[in-house]
Amino acid sequence: MIFKIFKKELKDTVRDRRTMLMMLVIPLLLFPVLINIVLGVSTSYADSAESKVLKIGVIGDTSDYLVQKLAQIPESFGPKKIIAYYGDSLKLQNDQKDEKLDLILWYDSRLETQLEAQEKSWIIWAFDKTNLGYADRAKSYTQIIETTERFKRYEALNIDEQKLIPFDVIYENTASDQQMLGELAGGFLPYIFIAFGFMGCMYPAIDLFTGEKERGTIETLLTTPVHRWKILVGKMLVVVLSGLMASFSALIGLFFSIQFLDMIPDPTLVSVITGMLTPSFIVKLFFLLLPLTVFFAGIMVPISVYTKTFKEAQSIIAPMNILVILPAMIGLFPGVELNIATACVPILNIVLTTKSLIAGNIDYFLLTITFLIMLIMAGTAVFISFRQFGKETNILN
Amino acid sequence: MIKIENLFKEFPLNKEQKKERNTSDKFASAVEDVSFNCNPGEVFSLLGPNGAGKTTILRMLSTVIQPSSGSIEICGIDAIKYPREARKKIGFLTGSTGLYARLSAHEIIDYFASLYNVPQALLKERKSYLFDLLGMNDFANKRIGKLSTGMKQKVSICRTMIHDPDVVIFDEPTSGLDVITAESIIQLIRDCRDQNKTVLFSSHIMGEVDLLCDRLAIIHQGKLKHHGTMEDFRAQMTGKSLTGEFINIVQS
Repeated sequence: MIFKIFKKELKDTVRDRRTMLMMLVIPLLLFPVLINIVLGVSTSYADSAESKVLKIGVIGDTSDYLVQKLAQIPESFGPKKIIAYYGDSLKLQNDQKDEKLDLILWYDSRLETQLEAQEKSWIIWAFDKTNLGYADRAKSYTQIIETTERFKRYEALNIDEQKLIPFDVIYENTASDQQMLGELAGGFLPYIFIAFGFMGCMYPAIDLFTGEKERGTIETLLTTPVHRWKILVGKMLVVVLSGLMASFSALIGLFFSIQFLDMIPDPTLVSVITGMLTPSFIVKLFFLLLPLTVFFAGIMVPISVYTKTFKEAQSIIAPMNILVILPAMIGLFPGVELNIATACVPILNIVLTTKSLIAGNIDYFLLTITFLIMLIMAGTAVFISFRQFGKETNILN
Repeated sequence: MIKIENLFKEFPLNKEQKKERNTSDKFASAVEDVSFNCNPGEVFSLLGPNGAGKTTILRMLSTVIQPSSGSIEICGIDAIKYPREARKKIGFLTGSTGLYARLSAHEIIDYFASLYNVPQALLKERKSYLFDLLGMNDFANKRIGKLSTGMKQKVSICRTMIHDPDVVIFDEPTSGLDVITAESIIQLIRDCRDQNKTVLFSSHIMGEVDLLCDRLAIIHQGKLKHHGTMEDFRAQMTGKSLTGEFINIVQS
């Protein structure tokens, strides 16, 4: 009987465009579309920042030593146009305010003499840091001039540059690529399926309970000789399936983006990610997602059963998204790790367990605790749903 | 048959409802001490103005809600103790059409038949009979969302009757329908009587009641105001019309 109800509710849900949009289309397309747009926009910004002719205002004369050195820097380090202000600092500042200049170079008027005397001088680059690439360009110009001057001094002082370096330092990363991935993306991945799992459950839950009350179909269903708990379970299974579908669709969309949209330039990392998608990983992920989605469904169903209109249900359930996301976000903080305490915090435990799963250093004892805690939460939520669904004041409008 | 005795139903009042009614009572009485019985091969009408408690009584009969006290018997089954057994005997047409907009008439009928465990052979036979009787063949494959009110009501009735119930309960079955559709439903109610089924329907259309009813009960403010045969009702009429008499009883 449960299967009959499930089959019918699934058919009904699949024919609902709004639910399908939230369950499959958006989760599946969001990442490819979003990543494509972000990559496209950032690449075009980076390209335009690199090729842009920067207008550099200098406080002194074009014949000044530093200005000449700046002018000699090859175009390959970024095209530039130098404008001299001959000491007119007020005009220089006003022109920058009016956005007639991109960079301003201030320097000591005695710079050339100071350099010759092997004294320390100063230069100041002034620019609007919100403009992409200005800081990098200023740094690269400075580095070229500074390196040349430093080597001049080594030569003048007859110093072997190598003698000034006491030792070479190498910071070696002992973490495997998979561990690095777990740390960097491990928190992000569960965040995705928590958000989409919640969203995927929301519309079917409201439609199959509040919607049925609004349309008067629930009363018809309750007059059939089917146990109420079977009706509840049949409907809840559809809600859970929708949540799972939304989560997995989002993950498929994300992996598709990684694989085909050149999101990660490092081919080793791409192969680590694709190699991670083993049947064992997917099964473990499914066992984490299943109680989580049942828990979501169990939270939403009593609300949907209690509320009288679709709007009312939506206005209560939608803000709950924040409450769900909050513990998921805590899992993104560095230093928050899976231990007995965190394994007992619902949602956070899912984030941290997934992180460990991706990093390949999962503790099976903690995985079991996480699974059991989520199972208890899901069971409690289903029990509350059952109690609410049994109340006649709730099921009839 | 249907037999109800000393039926009471109280609903809990929330804060807002207490304010609206200006009362400190925790419960509101919807049905008070109602008793009547409907026999097989009889059409029984439950009459009453809006909010009289008709739908509450019908919902208790169909076991969707439980009475606060009293007894309900459906075909000899205690409907309070054994609601699922009682539901197998009932075909209940709710006040709203109560259909799934994204399914077709065929799909809905098949679904409900499966919930009543109707065997395939009987389902085929019942579908053919009801589709012909209600003139549903032309729109049986269309989705409910695309059907008119009359068509939807026909599908609802077909859904109610698909498992060939012994007791049929209709809550205002012709409400909002055109004359032709209403007539086909009236014909179906007559057929049910001829098939020795127990038919209980609520209505506030006196013409319909006059046309179909063998016995009637008038409910007002949850209380039984009149109970008897249609013949007796006509005989003791003091008003000029059935509607006038109904108003007299309700206002007395």
